[in-house]
Amino acid sequence: MARILDNLNPVSERILKLRQSYDWTQAELEALPLHYAEKKKKALNSFLLKANKKLSNSAFKACDKEEYADSIMTEKLQKYDVKQYLQHRKANHLAAVEIFLAIKKGEDWSADLLEVRKANDDLLKEREAYVKKLEAEREAFLRKNSISDSSEYKALSAELEKKYNELSSALDEKHAAEISAKELKLNKKLDSISKNLQLLEAKQTEKHTLPDDILLSVKGLKMYFGGLKAVDDLTFDVKKGEIFGLIGPNGAGKTTVFNCITRFYDATGGEMYFENKYGEVVDLREYKVHDIILQGIGRTFQNIELVKEISVLDNLLVASTRAYRSGFIAHALGLPLLKREEKMLREKAMKILEFMGLESYAGWLAFGLPYGILKKVEIARALMADARLIIMDEPAAGLNDSETAELTETIRRIRDEFGVTILLVEHDMGLVMNVCDTVCAISFGQMLAIGTTEEIQKNKAVQEAYLGMEDDE
Amino acid sequence: MDKRLAKNYALLGKQTTDGDGLTACLRSFFKNSTMQIILFAIIMSVVGALSQEKILPYSWLSAFASTFSYAIAAVGFCLLMGYSGLASLGTGGFIGIGTYSVHYIMSEAGLPFGIALITAIAVAVLIGVIVGFISLRIEGIYLVILTLGLSEILRNLYMVLEDRITISTNPNLFGIEITRQMSLYVVVVVLAVIMIITGNIINSPTGRAMLAMKNSTAAAQAMGISLMKYRLMAFIICTVYASISGTMLIIVVRGAMASQGTGFYALITSLNILAAVIIGGYKSIWGAVFGSFIMYGMQTVVLNNIKFLAENPVIITFVSGILVIIVVMFYPGGLAQLVLELRGKARKLRIKMKEARYGKDLG
Repeated sequence: MARILDNLNPVSERILKLRQSYDWTQAELEALPLHYAEKKKKALNSFLLKANKKLSNSAFKACDKEEYADSIMTEKLQKYDVKQYLQHRKANHLAAVEIFLAIKKGEDWSADLLEVRKANDDLLKEREAYVKKLEAEREAFLRKNSISDSSEYKALSAELEKKYNELSSALDEKHAAEISAKELKLNKKLDSISKNLQLLEAKQTEKHTLPDDILLSVKGLKMYFGGLKAVDDLTFDVKKGEIFGLIGPNGAGKTTVFNCITRFYDATGGEMYFENKYGEVVDLREYKVHDIILQGIGRTFQNIELVKEISVLDNLLVASTRAYRSGFIAHALGLPLLKREEKMLREKAMKILEFMGLESYAGWLAFGLPYGILKKVEIARALMADARLIIMDEPAAGLNDSETAELTETIRRIRDEFGVTILLVEHDMGLVMNVCDTVCAISFGQMLAIGTTEEIQKNKAVQEAYLGMEDDE
Repeated sequence: MDKRLAKNYALLGKQTTDGDGLTACLRSFFKNSTMQIILFAIIMSVVGALSQEKILPYSWLSAFASTFSYAIAAVGFCLLMGYSGLASLGTGGFIGIGTYSVHYIMSEAGLPFGIALITAIAVAVLIGVIVGFISLRIEGIYLVILTLGLSEILRNLYMVLEDRITISTNPNLFGIEITRQMSLYVVVVVLAVIMIITGNIINSPTGRAMLAMKNSTAAAQAMGISLMKYRLMAFIICTVYASISGTMLIIVVRGAMASQGTGFYALITSLNILAAVIIGGYKSIWGAVFGSFIMYGMQTVVLNNIKFLAENPVIITFVSGILVIIVVMFYPGGLAQLVLELRGKARKLRIKMKEARYGKDLG
């Protein structure tokens, strides 16, 4: 059933499953010390709470009674002052309104002023009375508990501290043993998985090769819609770690190229090879559109395609839908496996959001956020899927100049930090010339020129087809 | 305050943490959605017990039982429409799967009720797969028409199989005989389980994938979401819930007639469920339950107590019609949206009252 649904051939599906479980096991292995540190902290905290409760009686006996009484008095007085402030404010507010009306009518308002002064004075008198009452309370308290005896407190606290240290070291020992046992288990699991993987990978008959520095290679790509040749015999290579720009006038077939690479369109002819995130060269034509992301190709859209009803963080998690090991039943029953996975993926998503400077938006609904932020969220979503190649469809569309500059910076940063390669289609020549390492210009589905930005700017054919047209506008 | 005193303060429990205290504990308890659903089930069971003892009107018992049976189907429809963005008018036909499974497996073959339930779910999965595959090719209003046609085919099939079915023996669930009076408790428990499961699905990766698919199929596919898998899943869940709803209805009502124009399998049921989900809020489980209460239970429980309406039952139809119009015009998110807005307004009102009492904060 699952195979029918996911449309992969059995061997690659099993390889995929194994790789996913390998990744998860590795992540669990890495998270192990942190997990136990949290566990220890929790246990120690609960111990501290209990210890504090035990200590409270002797601590009261030990403390300096005068200071204690003073502090209680100040606290009570503070509360009273807050209350009185509101009363003052109300009286002044009402009086101000009345005086204002009186001035407007030209009436005498001195009586009002006197009234409000009196009200304020009354409040101050009340406060004085309250202070006296508090002082009396304080005296009574001091008369009752005058002796301070710290011996019991010292003994008890020393005992508890000793217990605390003992507990801490016991936990350390216990956890170290558990960690090593678990590590052994997980390492064994990793070994068996990698053995199985090697066996399966040997079974795969077809193997493609690409030069070492090439990530994506498109050869003779053709896409015909009936008689219309949207893309005709296009060949280009995208190197690892570069920012590759695809430019061309409207209707040149740039988006069609993208849709062919991401398999939204079934190309009429041509070859597309890609070195996926496991370092294996695959023929993209063998994969369905929803399997492309598993190979490590993420994309952003020209018009933002985020889910508006859920938060920014949840939008990022949408991209890792295929990363979950847990199936439908675990989702329906809310099993602990799902909760563990959710926790880990949420942490990862938060890290990416922090990197993009969006952590304060994590809990916001995607609906109604500024356009520039949403564009960044889309890029973050592509990163969330562990993409090796991010395809951006007009990232600067609808952005103002400062936002475009920020985007340029972001694109560079994610390239440097995450080691991703970026392939972008763009109309904003400023952005393209600023950020791209290699630019490919196409017109009517055919290649005009490919090279560095300077070469493209000097190229006559490009100037005629693209830059020249811009002058006409 | 010096350091030592501050420490003593902490020791004396003056500085309470957030997790402490009974109120905070209770608040977190009531904010847990599963706990809310369980509380709802307990309250409804108590209401049922009271009306069985005739402290509350006796008619409430069957009214609530059938309302909540329909609510099961409505919750499934809510998942289909609100989260997957698909629509169907086949609920009536799917309900029949449940009733006929109970009839054939339990009454005719004499097997226990549990097996009838499993059969109902299995057949519903099959039908759901068929409709799901169709939904890959057809979308929107055409899909609605198609499911409507399928529902009518199923209804005609039921008429040919056996027009009138009656359940004479009490169904037996885990050794307990379910009498008609007891059926409310069974229905409430099943509804609670269904609500909890659906709530889990909505908040899980599956629910997010469905929402992504509803929003934009292209983006969903680019994010690795297989349309086929999730559309099939949505339709399977919807038909299974409708089928379970059918099994519950037949143990509440104990009889059905397929050729009747207002029966379980007729178009009117599908439309009522659709209306219930729209009134309640098509993205809210509680909305679906409350909407089906408005469509099915309100007449017996509320409106018949008003003398004027009880004497002129025609007006009730008008009222529900007008209610649908009002909700669709002013609250496209349904009553769930109304509740949210009211909450916001209550907060604003509280601030205003404070200002009226103490004056505006000028500082």
